[in-house]
Amino acid sequence: MALDFTFTDEQEFFRQTIRDTVDRLIVPRAQELDDTEEWPEDIWKEFASLGWLGLRHEEGYGGMNQPVVNQMIFYEELYRGSLGFAMAVTMQVLMGTYFIKRFANEEIKQRLLVPAIKGDKKCVICFTEDQSGSDLAGTRTLATKVDGGWQINGTKQWVTQGPLADVATVLCTVDPSQGLKALNFFLIEKKTEDRDGFLPGQILHKVGGRCAITGELVLDNVFVPEENLLGEELNKGVTYAGEILNEVRIMTGMSALAISKCALEDCREYANNRVAFGNPIGNYQLIREKFARCWAWYEAARTQCYKCAWMIDNPDNCRVTPRELLELCMAAKFHATELCVTTVEEAMRIYGGNSFCTEYPVQRYWKNAMYALFGGGTHEVMKDYLGRMYLRK
Amino acid sequence: MNIYVLVKYVPDTEAIVKVASESELEIENKYFTSYFDEVAIEEALKLKEKFGGKVTVVTVDNKKIDALRRGIAMGADEAVQITDPGLEESDPFGIARALAAFLQKEPYDLILCGRQAMDDDAGVVGPATAELLGIPHASAILGLDVADDGKSARVDRQIEGGKEHIRCSLPALLTAQKGLNVPRIPQVMGMMKAMKADVRKVDLTELGVDPAMVGASGQKVRVLKYEPPPQRSSATMVEEDFPENVKHLVKLLQEEAKVL
Repeated sequence: MALDFTFTDEQEFFRQTIRDTVDRLIVPRAQELDDTEEWPEDIWKEFASLGWLGLRHEEGYGGMNQPVVNQMIFYEELYRGSLGFAMAVTMQVLMGTYFIKRFANEEIKQRLLVPAIKGDKKCVICFTEDQSGSDLAGTRTLATKVDGGWQINGTKQWVTQGPLADVATVLCTVDPSQGLKALNFFLIEKKTEDRDGFLPGQILHKVGGRCAITGELVLDNVFVPEENLLGEELNKGVTYAGEILNEVRIMTGMSALAISKCALEDCREYANNRVAFGNPIGNYQLIREKFARCWAWYEAARTQCYKCAWMIDNPDNCRVTPRELLELCMAAKFHATELCVTTVEEAMRIYGGNSFCTEYPVQRYWKNAMYALFGGGTHEVMKDYLGRMYLRK
Repeated sequence: MNIYVLVKYVPDTEAIVKVASESELEIENKYFTSYFDEVAIEEALKLKEKFGGKVTVVTVDNKKIDALRRGIAMGADEAVQITDPGLEESDPFGIARALAAFLQKEPYDLILCGRQAMDDDAGVVGPATAELLGIPHASAILGLDVADDGKSARVDRQIEGGKEHIRCSLPALLTAQKGLNVPRIPQVMGMMKAMKADVRKVDLTELGVDPAMVGASGQKVRVLKYEPPPQRSSATMVEEDFPENVKHLVKLLQEEAKVL
């Protein structure tokens, strides 16, 4: 009797604790956070002081070392609040600190990772450039070997929290002609009087999740010492990126599920109370059909995402190859995020004209949901890949 | 100070509750620690920070210990679950009997709990427990100032038109009202500690409680039946122009709603 779809009592308590934290700290200001482009440093400090930024890191550095399933419980509750704040937290917890933990030496970990877990240093990761997003082979930020280290030149775009960052993990190429085979991660700090580093560039003004300040990072002849090359071997950047891609994709799926659930619950209350032609609109079949479809898909996508999280935690028991797990995580992300976009569109239809009014939350879900279509990889690229892989099976 | 906090895990205020039959409620599986109990836990922790000592959270619950975990996560030191099949269907008096039987063997300086549980709103367990223990009690406190020697306390209560200031000797049982403090959000390390916490379990035999005094046989208050609230009727629109609409409305209030 191997299948068990329940969470443990400890996981339910974990969920309730983060849920309560989000309800108290973030939900009351969610509309303001997602609509205005002001970073809430006050909420960040309080959230960080509770210890949540150490979710995936070892206890020796102040972390909690939680399994992936618990991390996904965390994201599922976190993304019920403000998308922008959740994106900033996720960047800090996952992408911005992963490679420091994985490859940096102990001195760098003590100097950067420990304060990052406390929220005192903001850490980001940089992939996208002007001409390369999904196409990492198009990376043009160049790292040139020099005496004692590397000289780096280029501009990175779409860096969540980039303009506020203290530390960046930057994907660079050492030879643009080699495409994916020449990619490497470098640790680069913000430029100061005493230290070479990146400079914040133009801020990108987003449609949703606006309190996370997104923008460019400019690297102008930045020198970094040898130990700032993050990796055991040169030119393994793509391989190393793959180490967190599964988690990033499931995390994106969880964010979409959280937005879907908020939309469904708000719509349920609206449909049960909004009266048209003498009846609550929830009495009409075409409204009920929307709930039936979106709720059934939501439950399926949620189970799929948690199954993938469990498989990441249990590589020896899950009986899939790493390649198959990658495909399953990609499929789960694709399903959950497409469902979310459908759900928020249906939510807008349920609210009717009121959906166009900023007094109602549904327009915020609609704006926020769209990021999931390309965050962590565009669906057009993913679908082509998934279809190709499936046809080869 | 040795402080005991009585806590209860109750349905979330947003949980959907349906009347399944006259004898049964169907409650959505969404629970939380009763907010007034969290206020009590917070007050206990503040006193511990000032005076030192220990905070123990206690619950009477056969199924869930999440309220105890919440207390540990917030900073309580120990947790006790009073659990026994004989406690099923206990009314608040039965719960109070079990709690009093436990507490009378414990070295308490102060007992705190919420002014009422957020499911039944009975507000009985606190005062009944105090009565059974033979200690002073003040309810729905909004202010608490324990004397430096720990032997008395000044307590503030909201009353109609003003505030009441009471001095009582300790040990006492005080029930907490919203506004006494703002409960702290548990830190992650507290939550981790709570997830691994050892919970002491105590049953009726250990307490020496006569099973006839708790459970269904010990009920002083019995639920006769559950009824759903009346269905809201659809609105009647008063469409005439002024002043006919006023006359029509008054007529409806007199003859149909019968409130005038």
